[in-house]
Amino acid sequence: MTGGLHIDSYEWPGGREPMLRFGDRSPRVVLALPLLEEFNRTRAFGVTLLRGLAARGVSGLLPDWPGTGESLMPTQAVSLEAMRVAYGAIAASYAPLFALSIRSGALLDTGSPVSGRWHFSPQDGADFAREMGRQTSREGDVAGNLLSDAFREEVGAATTDDARVVRLDSDGRDADLKIAGVPLWRRAEPDNDPALAARLADDIADWIATCGG
Amino acid sequence: MTTVDKTVRATLADILGISAERAASFTETTPLFGALPELDSMAVASVLTELEDRLGIVIEDDEVDGDMLETYGALVTFAARKALL
Repeated sequence: MTGGLHIDSYEWPGGREPMLRFGDRSPRVVLALPLLEEFNRTRAFGVTLLRGLAARGVSGLLPDWPGTGESLMPTQAVSLEAMRVAYGAIAASYAPLFALSIRSGALLDTGSPVSGRWHFSPQDGADFAREMGRQTSREGDVAGNLLSDAFREEVGAATTDDARVVRLDSDGRDADLKIAGVPLWRRAEPDNDPALAARLADDIADWIATCGG
Repeated sequence: MTTVDKTVRATLADILGISAERAASFTETTPLFGALPELDSMAVASVLTELEDRLGIVIEDDEVDGDMLETYGALVTFAARKALL
């Protein structure tokens, strides 16, 4: 079956995590959504993007990482290292695979054997850690998530690998492509933008065709 | 309208999900924190970080207080001062 949505799961050395699968053929992408609060604000958008890619002949994977989404791992036990190990397990099982990410999701594909990387508005570890500090309540949680000090330190030192970088045109930083749109990941209430998702799906399909997908 | 004013208006509209018309109606004395229900503490963190990205500024945590968020004018004044440094 091609183009359909499957509720699936994957195994990594630490256990099994849920995963949505869109379509079942090559070329294939894996999408890493942002961590923490921005995850909730971009999930519907991520699903719209993967549906758009499936309509363009590109299959997609949307995994939950250890300690995110519906994963059973408690947030206090979350580590970037575990997420990267899980990412590597998917990259190995589904090779060849193209890495897509939004915001801090760019921190997950570092070091994984993927065919190419495409990062939408990527955030490096220092920026992400700084924002996490700003969002931390007096009780020590980030929007209800209890996080370990080890995770904060690990993330603060984390880097991203080279990628095709796409940013919104309101963002002053360098990018391979600038695109008009609203930063959904900052919206006080989750929202979606199907027109933006369609423009990004076009860019991703072209990029995969160019880098030999 | 200055570039900073435009940027602050657009940032508030994008993050709080309010209409461009409503954002355009903000004046110097329009109350923000405590008056706009959409502007909770998480949204404040988002507004500050997005202003940093769009204006190329860095806002230190000890500079953030209730005064700079009390009115639209106070926020624009704060952002303009940072952007000039």
